[in-house]
Amino acid sequence: MSVTHDDVLKIARLAELDVGEEALPLLAEQMSRILDYVRQINSVPASEALRPFVPGPDAAHFRPDDVKPWPLAFGPEKLAPAFKDGFFLVPKLGAFEVPEA
Amino acid sequence: MTDPSEALASANAAADRLVRAKRLNACITPPRELRKSLVAQAQAAHPSGVLYGMPVAVKDVICTLEFTTTCSSKILEGYHSPYEATAVAKLKAAGALIAGKTNCDEFAMGSSTEHSAHGRTLHPFDKTRVPGGSSGGSAALVAVGAVPAALGSETGGSVRQPASLCGVVGIKPTYGRVSRSGLVAFGSSLDQIGVLGRSVHDAARVLAVISGRDARDSTCEDRDPLRLPNVPESLQGFVIGIPKEYFPPDLDPAVRRACDRAIRLLKELGAAVREVSLPHTPYAVPTYYIVAPAEASSNLARYDGARYGPRFNGAADVRALYRSTRGEGFGAEVRRRILLGTYVLSAGYYDAYYRKAQQMRALIAQDFRNAFDRGVDLLFTPTTPTAAFKAGERLGDPVAMYLSDIFTVTANLAGLPAISIPIGRIKGLPIGGQFIGQAFLEDEMLEAAYALERVVPATEEA
Amino acid sequence: MAGPAGTGGPGGAGETSGWETVIGLETHVQVRTLSKMFCGCSAAFGDPPNTNVCPVCLGLPGALPVPNGQALKLAARAALALGCTVHARSVFARKNYFYPDLPKGYQISQFEQPLATAGSLSYLSPERGLATATIGRLHVEEDAGRSLHDRFPGYTAIDLNRCGVPLIEIVTGPDFRSPPEARAYLLTLKQVLEYAGISDCDMEKGSLRVDANVSVRRPGDTVLGTKVEVKNINSFAFVEKALVAERDRQIAVLEGGGTVEQQTMLYDSKANTVRPQRSKEGSQDYRYFPDPDLPPLVLTDEFIAEQQTLLPELPAKKRERLVEKYALSVTDAAVLTADRAVADYYEAVVHAGADAKMAANWVMTEVLGDAKDHGAALRVAAGALANLIGLVRGGTLSHQAAKRVFAEVAERGGEPRNVAEALGLIQVADTGVVAGWVSEVLAAHPTEVSRYKNGETKLQPFFVGQVMKVSRGKADPKLVQKVLEEKLAS
Repeated sequence: MSVTHDDVLKIARLAELDVGEEALPLLAEQMSRILDYVRQINSVPASEALRPFVPGPDAAHFRPDDVKPWPLAFGPEKLAPAFKDGFFLVPKLGAFEVPEA
Repeated sequence: MTDPSEALASANAAADRLVRAKRLNACITPPRELRKSLVAQAQAAHPSGVLYGMPVAVKDVICTLEFTTTCSSKILEGYHSPYEATAVAKLKAAGALIAGKTNCDEFAMGSSTEHSAHGRTLHPFDKTRVPGGSSGGSAALVAVGAVPAALGSETGGSVRQPASLCGVVGIKPTYGRVSRSGLVAFGSSLDQIGVLGRSVHDAARVLAVISGRDARDSTCEDRDPLRLPNVPESLQGFVIGIPKEYFPPDLDPAVRRACDRAIRLLKELGAAVREVSLPHTPYAVPTYYIVAPAEASSNLARYDGARYGPRFNGAADVRALYRSTRGEGFGAEVRRRILLGTYVLSAGYYDAYYRKAQQMRALIAQDFRNAFDRGVDLLFTPTTPTAAFKAGERLGDPVAMYLSDIFTVTANLAGLPAISIPIGRIKGLPIGGQFIGQAFLEDEMLEAAYALERVVPATEEA
Repeated sequence: MAGPAGTGGPGGAGETSGWETVIGLETHVQVRTLSKMFCGCSAAFGDPPNTNVCPVCLGLPGALPVPNGQALKLAARAALALGCTVHARSVFARKNYFYPDLPKGYQISQFEQPLATAGSLSYLSPERGLATATIGRLHVEEDAGRSLHDRFPGYTAIDLNRCGVPLIEIVTGPDFRSPPEARAYLLTLKQVLEYAGISDCDMEKGSLRVDANVSVRRPGDTVLGTKVEVKNINSFAFVEKALVAERDRQIAVLEGGGTVEQQTMLYDSKANTVRPQRSKEGSQDYRYFPDPDLPPLVLTDEFIAEQQTLLPELPAKKRERLVEKYALSVTDAAVLTADRAVADYYEAVVHAGADAKMAANWVMTEVLGDAKDHGAALRVAAGALANLIGLVRGGTLSHQAAKRVFAEVAERGGEPRNVAEALGLIQVADTGVVAGWVSEVLAAHPTEVSRYKNGETKLQPFFVGQVMKVSRGKADPKLVQKVLEEKLAS
């Protein structure tokens, strides 16, 4: 089962990643190869009831509801590529739908 | 060291050594900036700290205030983090000096430090070869003695594998032992900050300092402090398991010889050695290459040019901004893993890939538990299937590169601690052997490592 | 674009010219905490942009989430208030999508294992009487920031203050059969959540937001029609209008022989229409997976039990109890319990000794009227109101006079009796003084007295009026009548 150029484009759109036309054939081939390789896990039977393993604590520890902001060495205006009147700026929405409130 | 003048001398000496090591392309901090910072740090450091004056280099996926954090990527070119990683803060509180940032595979994705926006790092002893990855810069600097220790990070073996290839010690702690706050996330359920050191002692000292509960990381556990054991006289009472799946028939004979020699020495030290089986081992690499890219695809979604980092201009609208920034800012390996990760999480594939892979993890973790429950204290295995390979050799086929991690990914998948120490040479190139320990029992693992380190002829041909 | 609303029939009917409307609601409510869901930044509304931010809510490289215990307590309490089963173990999941106000490129939410499921809420449907909405799930998540599109031409401005504020999402089944019904549920939900202290549910401030799913079908059909999502509804009033607009649009499509397309519509309040969200390439795939930065959410029995004890008497129960205990009408009880503070106030007034029915009238008229003009403040203390009511009941003050005293006490405080005396409003109930006034009046109007004695008893109010005039309103009218009767009889 191989990955087509359309598949790659569809996934690239979901991942918001530009993929040039010329890169498609190699990417499709490499992804197919990798997926073929990783698919071998399906040959191992595992009961549906087997709980996925995740290391780390068994339960989340809760934080008290204190306003204790994490101090930054400098403010967002120094981080941002574009910042005005206290706001981050990005080019207008355009291709995005008019948003939720 | 207790004297500010000693710290200052240490700072300048480190700066000198790092300049001499420039040819390796392992340290990405410009030398002048580095010296200036080291000197300033030496003056401000806490004299009573246990690591006072010790220069420690830091992999460029770990946030520091002193230097930029680029993750060896164009998408974070020039990025100054406004906060520092908890592990770095702890080093500084112990009086250590942050000796610059080290080169790595972009966003820690790779096994050779060839996928870097700063160019590849050279193997310390053979410039045509790779130092391993993704923490290749840290390993190379420690190998040439530029710094006694360096922080690296592990997701699938990225501290132990370069340690093996460069002939240094590399420790991966139990998942949850060291805070991940400030470690730029790649595979969140696998990531841990680890330590490269020129000896078990150096690496372990640093690990003890950076370990401990952190209120800023929900996955960091509240445990008793890491105990640094004394070097034991013998390993009497230790039961060491040798998992047969790590010694397949096609294992490189030189690697096998080096491991056999080490195992013989373990027996001579008094350990009981026993063969065990971890039957799901062959599925570890495929499992890893589903889980890690999946989590990475989500962790790297925040890099879009909107709030920090460079912006690849000329975008007509915000979606074009995202796509061009991410298309141009990420390198080929990272792009590939993001696409792969997005695919295995997407509708229709989630159950067959991601969900199944997490179940496989349970089976792999169960294999280890079974071995430990049957009385085994530690496991001993080769760290890497080969010594350092040639630069460019594995870039054509991604799966070939992935197979470099064949002996290391299991510890990440199971969340277990592991340590690689040099155990010999193969045609002059270093090779490592690793102990895999039980969760939060790093001290037992360190005892065995100390003991073996003392007797193994690490610079002799296998 | 669909035509203006109202072409399909009245907003009220569940069946509109041969169609049944089916509506489900998804409500997002900000829970009342001081700090954000996953970091210690302030969750306050209205601060200057990007001043309540930190590495976590900015989505900076390396920053990790740490959950707010109070948010989880309030979420559990809300779930219990809505009759849900609160699960001891639930899981945070990442909802992955790209948007300017979502800095991590994913929202931490819950998916396969939410905090609570299987609840219900009774409400009064305008058409069907007492109805029950099913609550399919209630889960916890973090809010996104705000994008402003019109502030700088050519740019979108992003403020991340709101990013990370704790939200609960409450999802009903396809339970509502008309727009007014959906609105009635929403108002009841708001009331319950306010009672339980979860949120102030202010749609203007964005602490309550609602999206709707709407479909239509022929009455009797068991299969649901294609559902369309409606978003961008910014007030309770607009809820009904938006739903009417979408319902009518679907009916028009179907009656025109077309089929309803599954899509998302946005409500445009200025034009009172719905229009399609500009189509995305393909539908959204959120690629949910459990968030590896957060261990499972485990709530102990004690934790859940504590939230149960912290639940106040909820509106429906309180209404029933007031009707029973104080013999109030259902309507009056509903008015008194609409707001928890008012309900508590009413009961305090009664406990301070006031007659239950009189207290009800006073609270519903004077108190609520005054509160409306003064930012919902209940300016007269419960004890003071009880005293005032006592004065009226005992005949010391006329109702009119008491209203004046109320206004005075509300504005400048003071003890009602003292204020009444200071204003000279105390009714005179001294028989002697009243008799004097009556005599005065009778003496001044001999013609009318004769006429009365000759049978024109309808002149009695005239005499009472005159006595009130002569006494400058201070005479107790009941006593005046009594004395008058006696004197005229003699």
